[in-house]
This record gives sequence, structure tokens and C-alpha cells, in this order.
Amino acid sequence: MNKVWWVLQKDLVAEFRSLRVWPSMLLLGVVVAMVFGLQMDLLPQQKQRLVGGMLWLAVFFAGMAAIERSFSAERDDACWDGLRLFPVDLSLVFWSKWICNTIALSALEVVLFPLFFALSHVSLLAHPAELLLVTMLGNLGLSAVGTLVSALATSIGRGGNLLMAVVLPLATPVILAAAEATRMIAEDALNQTFWRWVQLLLAFAVVFVTVGTLLFPAAVED
Amino acid sequence: MSLRNRLHAACGLSAIAFVAVAVWMAACIAPTEQSMGDIQRVLYVHVSVAWLGLCGFAVMAVSGVGYLLTRNLRFDHWFQSAGELGWITSGLTLATGSIWAHEAWGTWWEWEPRLTASFVLWLIYCAILLVRGSLDDPHQRARIGGVLGVMGAADLPLVMMATRWFRGMHPVSPQMDPLMRWTLLVNVLAFTALFAWLITERRKQLRFRQSNDDLQRTLIGRMKCSHS
Repeated sequence: MNKVWWVLQKDLVAEFRSLRVWPSMLLLGVVVAMVFGLQMDLLPQQKQRLVGGMLWLAVFFAGMAAIERSFSAERDDACWDGLRLFPVDLSLVFWSKWICNTIALSALEVVLFPLFFALSHVSLLAHPAELLLVTMLGNLGLSAVGTLVSALATSIGRGGNLLMAVVLPLATPVILAAAEATRMIAEDALNQTFWRWVQLLLAFAVVFVTVGTLLFPAAVED
Repeated sequence: MSLRNRLHAACGLSAIAFVAVAVWMAACIAPTEQSMGDIQRVLYVHVSVAWLGLCGFAVMAVSGVGYLLTRNLRFDHWFQSAGELGWITSGLTLATGSIWAHEAWGTWWEWEPRLTASFVLWLIYCAILLVRGSLDDPHQRARIGGVLGVMGAADLPLVMMATRWFRGMHPVSPQMDPLMRWTLLVNVLAFTALFAWLITERRKQLRFRQSNDDLQRTLIGRMKCSHS
């Protein structure tokens, strides 16, 4: 666990020093939220139905901009070769990148959730514990898919285009489940179906993290 | 024509004949459903191709794991052939389901759990085939495909269980006349036989192409050596 922390710390320190990726991610998130907000000239009930999907699409598109950079940045100045010389299992590198990307998505949501609330007037804080659970599980699943595909894309040198083409269909079940669960929170309808969506989010997070841990060494081969 | 090739051809002809019998049963033998009429007969093809869409992805995932463990391109030929045929059957599932839904529900498409999950599966097929098509190096193609195939397989349980988990409009196991059940079973078996035969044929074709490419590369390498 110590080794995961070292690699994670390296990524976080590098980001806070250069501030290259997170600010652009936040800006993109705000722009997407503004565009969605402008289109939401609807009745309150209609907004409650739409806000989950729009929120998670904004998180996905802005978040992937940061996740894509998490590996392509390592290719500059042969940083990746240096990282591979680091005496840790490659799976631990996946874990540190995954945690770092999850933190990035969480930071994005800290900005986006109040912004969506301000733009749509839909309160998402009626069930804060449930919202936190859905957000956390959604972030874990999304960042696991994004991290693995970003590693794949970087290994073949066709970063962004390939990443976006593949991540969206793979991450769609996570986005759908998170959007549906968020919609039910907004509508104050926490029934059995809500918990089904939460279980689905949990299942996808576990599956994608397991697959990522096992396949990461194969994904980063040159 | 060698005995093996004759056997392959015989298997193919048998599978095609089996499908013809199955379609004939669906069109002429199975009783007409009372509320939907003849359009309900599309169900026999729909269930068969839906099953094959899932099978195709399962074969892709297993072949992907096979390649990642052994680095043998034979697994990748299975992966590619299953992917192409799975993509076709998955697309046919959406098309035939849409025809059925138009009659049963009065709409071509409904964003209900099973339909959405099936559409996502088809999108994953598209993405994997597109990405693989953009790569020239066979081992790189196989490695990328293998990883994506295993990740995409996470959608399979969702497609199968979506209706039970989220109570959508899609029927789960409706009551059927025994003759309808038999017709459905024959159709599933016949289409599975044709699918299996087509996969093996396509795999054979991919293997020949691979051998041809290897041979070309070797010859070009030798020619370069002799010129220098």
C-alpha cells in the first residue's frame, strides 16, 4: 500500500505543481454544465428527470479529458520508462493511477454538483448519504474503465481519439446506472429499483477494478 | 478436394438446410399467435440471433484471455471471427426486436433495460471492431482486442438479467403453445449450427490471410537482403 501511495503522491504533486490537467477539466465541466443549463427551460418535474443524465454526462466528458492525460503525460520525456524501473508491481501503478483519477472526478463533482443545483434548482441534497454513495461508486467504475483504456491508448500512440471511441460504450452501463440513481434521488423515490442501480454500480466498479488490476501489465506493453 | 474440406462443406450445407427447415417451421408449422398475428413469427429468429449475439461476445472474451495468456494468434482469429458474426447477430437482434415491438408495443424503440443493454452491447462490438480495424500490427491488434473483449464482457450479465433486475417491458419467459416452443428450440439450434460453421470458416480464412502476410514479409525481407 505504501508503494501505491508513493506513485499516487508523485502524480498528485506533479499535477499541483504544473496545474495542467485539472483546471482544464474543471473548465470543460463548467462549460458543459452551462450548455445543459441553458437548455433546461423546463418544468421542475421535467428537470428532476433530466438532471441525473446531464450531470453524469458532464462528469464523463470532462473527466475523460483528465483521465486520458494520466498516461499520455507519462510518455513525455520517457517518464514511463522511469516509472517502469520503479520496483513495484505494474498492477500497483494501475491502482495509484485509478485512485488519482477517482480524486480528479471527485474534485470535478465538488464544482459541478452546486453548479447544476444553481442552474436547475433541483435539490440533490435531500438524501446526502445516498448521493455520496452513488457518486463514489460511479467515480470508481468510470475511473477504472478510463484508466485501463487510457493505458491501452497510450501504448499504441493514438491517445484521445481511440480513448473516446472505446470508453463511451464500455462506460455506458456505469453512466446509465449512476444517472438513473441520481434521478431517483432528485425525485425523492428511493425504492427497491434505486438499490438495484446501486448494486449494479458496485458490481461494475468491482469488475472493472479487478479486470484492470489483472490486465494492466498486458495493456501497457509496447 | 480433401476429405477435411468435403467434411467442412457438408457441415455448411447441413447447417443451411437446418436453418431452412427451422424457418419453414416458423413460417408454416408454428401456430399463429392470436393477438399479434403472423408478425409474431419474427420472434423465432429474434431469440435465436439474440442468443448468438451473446455467444459471440463470450467467444471473444474467452479468445481474448487465451491470446493474453499464450500470445498465440490463433486465438485472435477466433476473436475476430466471433466479433464480426456477433456484431451482425447483435444488430439483427435489435432490428428483429424493433419489428416485434412495433406490433406488440406500438413503438419501434423503447428505452427499457433489456433493449438499452442490448444496444450498449452492439455499441461495444462496434467500438472493438473499429479500434482493431485501425491497427496494422497483428499482435498489437490481438492484445488491444483481448483487453477490451474482457472488459466488454461485463455487459453480458446485464443484458441477460436486465428484465429480471429492473422489471422492464421486455417479456421474460412468456407462456407458449408446445409447438411454438419446439419451433423456437429448432430455430435456436439451427441458427447456432450455422453460426458455428460460419465462425470456423471465417477463422480459417483469417488464418490463411495471416500465413499469406507472413510469407510476403519473409520474401520481401529476403529480397532486401539479397539486394544489399
